[in-house]
Amino acid sequence: MALKRFMFAAFVAFVSSVATIGILGRLSPSPVAPPVAAERRVGRDELARHSGARDCWMAIGGQAYDLTSYLPRHPAPPSVMTRWCGRDATEAFATKGRGRPHSPAARVMLAQYRIGLFTP
Amino acid sequence: MSTTIQDCGRWAGTLGLAAFLLAALMSVRAPRLDGWFGGLTRQWKIHHVLGAAAFLLLMAHPLLLSFAAAGYSLRAAADILFPGAGAWSVWAGWAALAAMAAFLAPTFSFFGEPEYQRWKSLHALSGVALILGVAHAAALSRAMPGGYWVGAGALALFAAAGRKVWSRALGRRGYVITRLERIGRGVVELSLKPEGRLLRYAAGQFVYMTPLDPDLAAGRGEEHPYTLSSSPDEAVLRIAIKSLGDATRALQTAALGSRVLVEGPYGGALSGRAAVRGELWVAGGIGLTPFLGRARSLAPGHAVDIHLIYCVQDETRAHFMPELRSISARVPGFVVTPHHFAREGILKAEFLRAACPNFAGRDASMCGPAPLLAAARKVLLRAGIPAARIRQEDFTWL
Repeated sequence: MALKRFMFAAFVAFVSSVATIGILGRLSPSPVAPPVAAERRVGRDELARHSGARDCWMAIGGQAYDLTSYLPRHPAPPSVMTRWCGRDATEAFATKGRGRPHSPAARVMLAQYRIGLFTP
Repeated sequence: MSTTIQDCGRWAGTLGLAAFLLAALMSVRAPRLDGWFGGLTRQWKIHHVLGAAAFLLLMAHPLLLSFAAAGYSLRAAADILFPGAGAWSVWAGWAALAAMAAFLAPTFSFFGEPEYQRWKSLHALSGVALILGVAHAAALSRAMPGGYWVGAGALALFAAAGRKVWSRALGRRGYVITRLERIGRGVVELSLKPEGRLLRYAAGQFVYMTPLDPDLAAGRGEEHPYTLSSSPDEAVLRIAIKSLGDATRALQTAALGSRVLVEGPYGGALSGRAAVRGELWVAGGIGLTPFLGRARSLAPGHAVDIHLIYCVQDETRAHFMPELRSISARVPGFVVTPHHFAREGILKAEFLRAACPNFAGRDASMCGPAPLLAAARKVLLRAGIPAARIRQEDFTWL
């Protein structure tokens, strides 16, 4: 009986939490995209200058990202990511090196690190 | 911090799905296999607890992942939960969780006590939840190759979907009703003669019986669990049946010579293990059956230390009292005390102490209606019997 009550309470808490997050997420402003004309363009040479673990930029799918602050948070061993610093990592992001794409969650997080367009 | 939360979220998903698959495997019903888990009742309790754990972990899984993304923005936290329409793998996860909520809602009585058939048909949704959950995991799994999830999922599905096939193939045998003894009003005891080899079982175990008598008013072809009230030494199986519903009422007038299918044996909570200390048995009404089987299997002249408290409304309902008394006369140390609710009210410590002064030092086994079990358990715990030494068989399901 106690288990039944606990399960019901947990289920109600779960549905309420999901609904709250969903509603708050929709109500909060989306990050304002800068006007296209003023958007920063990162070329291959500039990208290559940020090729270390302490200053790590990557190009993924035509966008440039500054992933320096994310590196310590990535779950895989550091070398998996640092070897792509300063390079176009589109393929690596799409396959994780073994034919498996990153999750939608990873794509949501990646968007937070975008610094401009990649123009090779 | 958010990395830790994210890791917890991933682990919750992995462990939750693993618990779900194990619960599916534990739903298999096969004679003797249940002995590994201490009987079918205990096996299903493990199934039940695993299912509850899986549901809790799988609810925590998306929430924790969303909390981890809240470090970026609220929008990111919501996007984790509700990504674009293209992210089919995430939506498969949601569909799995929704199916799980639907089939577990009656199990945990979210909306009141469910009707058995509705519970059973909704529980079949577990297969859908399992397939969707495995698809979700296989697409998003990081450390473990997706194929492992698919393999484990297929095994669990195979075991659960085929549970009836296995149990029937392994343990179902034909019997014929050779005797129907009227024990009292609304209580009969059927004697079943095997068409082939007699079932080997331990006293107090139970079987699933499917009556095939074409003239039965209800329950023809329906299987129900019944405790065997016979001793394993007898040449027939005996099953005492009280009229509690349509199917059991119809069996009160089952035709002699008609066939039944018997599947088993399965271990109940009260079969098997012998107690080291003296035993205290508390039986309520037809809940006597597992004890009756064990009492009938006691060898005459061979001393035991068992005190049976047989709880019934009044003496007219103490249907098996004459037989119990004659066993008591043959078996030294087997004592029976009737307890009449009409006279003594609910079972109290004073009654037990007067009937069996050293009851608190015994191993207790109980079977009967839920209110009696609840009252007896309270009395026994208060008297100092640790919960580990109290075994009980419930009539209600989990």
